[in-house]
Amino acid sequence: MTGRRELWRWGLVAPPLVISVALFVGPLAYLFYVSLHEVSPSELYGSWSLASYAAIAADPFYLLIIRRTLVTALAVLALALVIGYPVAYWIAKLPARARSLALLALLFPLMVSNVVRAYGWAAILGRRGVINTALGGLGLTDGPLGLLYSPEAVVLGLLTILLPYMVISIANVLASLDPRYAEAAQALGAGPIRTFIHVTLPLSAPGVASGLLLVFLLTLSAYVTIAVLGGPQSKLLVSLVYDSVVSFHWPQAAALAFTLLAIALAVSGAIMAVVRPGRVQGGRR
Amino acid sequence: MTGDDIDVRLAGVTKTFGAVAAVRDVSLEIPRGSIFSLLGPSGCGKTTTLRLIAGFEQPTQGQVYIRGRDVTDVPPYRRDFSIVFQSYALFPHLTVAENVGFGPRMRGVGRAVRGREVAEALALVKLAGYEARYPRELSGGQQQRVALARAIVVRPAVLLLDEPLGALDKMLREEMQVELRQLQQRLGITAVFVTHDQEEALTLSDHVAVMRDGRIEQVGAPRAIYERPDTEFVAGFLGASNFFDGVVVARDTAGAEIEVAGWRVRMADVTAAVGAQVRIAVRPERMRLGGPDAPGQPATVREIVYRGSTIHYYLDGAAGPILVHRQNAEPGAAELRPGDRVRCRWAPESGVVFAPK
Ligand SMILES: Nc1ncnc2c1ncn2[C@@H]1O[C@H](COP(=O)(O)OP(=O)(O)O)[C@@H](O)[C@H]1O
Ligand SMILES: [Mg+2]
Repeated sequence: MTGRRELWRWGLVAPPLVISVALFVGPLAYLFYVSLHEVSPSELYGSWSLASYAAIAADPFYLLIIRRTLVTALAVLALALVIGYPVAYWIAKLPARARSLALLALLFPLMVSNVVRAYGWAAILGRRGVINTALGGLGLTDGPLGLLYSPEAVVLGLLTILLPYMVISIANVLASLDPRYAEAAQALGAGPIRTFIHVTLPLSAPGVASGLLLVFLLTLSAYVTIAVLGGPQSKLLVSLVYDSVVSFHWPQAAALAFTLLAIALAVSGAIMAVVRPGRVQGGRR
Repeated sequence: MTGDDIDVRLAGVTKTFGAVAAVRDVSLEIPRGSIFSLLGPSGCGKTTTLRLIAGFEQPTQGQVYIRGRDVTDVPPYRRDFSIVFQSYALFPHLTVAENVGFGPRMRGVGRAVRGREVAEALALVKLAGYEARYPRELSGGQQQRVALARAIVVRPAVLLLDEPLGALDKMLREEMQVELRQLQQRLGITAVFVTHDQEEALTLSDHVAVMRDGRIEQVGAPRAIYERPDTEFVAGFLGASNFFDGVVVARDTAGAEIEVAGWRVRMADVTAAVGAQVRIAVRPERMRLGGPDAPGQPATVREIVYRGSTIHYYLDGAAGPILVHRQNAEPGAAELRPGDRVRCRWAPESGVVFAPK
């Protein structure tokens, strides 16, 4: 009886397990294997070597890009949190119907391709874009401002794409919080501000953590936005992976990809450690 | 103005949510150091009344006073009360000590004093040694105690309890009722206790307000509420009652004669005039059973339910079904059988008489 049930369970688990091993874990392991070899002009990779990683650690250009990637990602994170939290708080306080409409409205921009939106920003920020034309027309500037192809343009572009993820994550948690927590705090003498700081904010940790993780990981993997708005001057790590791939430096591309993965894991770990979403789990047993 | 010993006073308080009147023209006074229960069926407005005292809801009409101060327009965090919810609402991200210390901390009590107050409160609820635990690491009963400690540590003018024992199993609930009562008396706390459990209300309270459809139907001591209900609703809601319809046939200074299904009973305390239709309510434990030749209303035993300390007899009487409770130690209690013919009666003062609505 139990044996058969076991079998069933494995039967259900096996297909997704096989698929994820075949399509994710396997290639990842192979990628790692490739990253541990020399670049070869004719083959996919040469002999065993840590040269690709050594290059990343030693080359100031790579280090600059890594730092820029981190700074950009952190800027996007900070802005998304600071702008997104109040919006989420406001949405969570809406009556149920208005709330779902507001959340739906946040999803609409996600239906427009990132490519289209990136070029949209380019049209606004470019040398002959809306802003420069307007400022020039008003005689406020001598020549066009270099708005496009800057880290700021990249941050702005990413932020407008990723902000909804932050808002939706936090709003969902805030809306499902039992209002009695805040009431208990008020009964004990905490005014609205202290209730927020000591109760509502810590209890929203799961939403903040998932929002930060989503925005961070999507920032690391974004490509089009960075390519279009950052241009050649404001490359990020993901651009280097691309550049290595198109120049057939497979081991270098693999090593960069793993560096990116390491950064993703490290920062995700740091987010979890700081926000500690787990502390909120479990009320009454 | 209110007397000095009234901790909570509601004056003509009404609360409507859109078209729903949750609380209608409620006035009540809660004396210092007493437990005041709001009792009634689900949806009758108990929680709303409590939330009006707390300030979580604003009255549509009327005033709320705490310790003589009109707090109608005062926000909850400036009112002197604390609250225990049925769900406890313990802060999951804080330890037991931090939960209990939350109130003192918000009131600016220093760390050292706070530590002492927390330890004292936890000792009162018998949870000393649990300071470092998180709520999720406690059983339901322990969480309940932490919620209680968190509420009493600030020595509020009034402690509000919204079905605080509702989530506990029966044994634990009865134990907590006794403990709660002892704690309240030891600390001299004024408490408002919301429950739909009539036994709990009777056990715990100095005063019970029975609510129905947003109104207070009757306020009184548990015994008065139970034994001298003002209305049929109160008589029916608190424990079982036998109801008999009859007509007043004679009156004198001591009471009246009422004819029920061709059979005359004397009742004390009747205000209705001769000829008036009335309804008599008699508690099952007030009914007396006798043999077929004894005085009283004739009836036949339909069913006998043995309940341990009591035995319940279901009778078919001339005026409808009758329920009789007897102690099983009562002489003759064990001798009746279904189908036996009996007579039942009650003393003139052991029932109440209502004018039918
Ligand atoms: N926030 C609210 N909005 C609308 N109706 C409410 C609200 N709170 C309570 N009510 C209504 O008021 C009535 C009394 O509710 P409540 O005080 O919770 O009753 P009880 O605690 O006695 O079960 C119910 O009909 C309930 O549906
Ligand atoms: Mg209720």
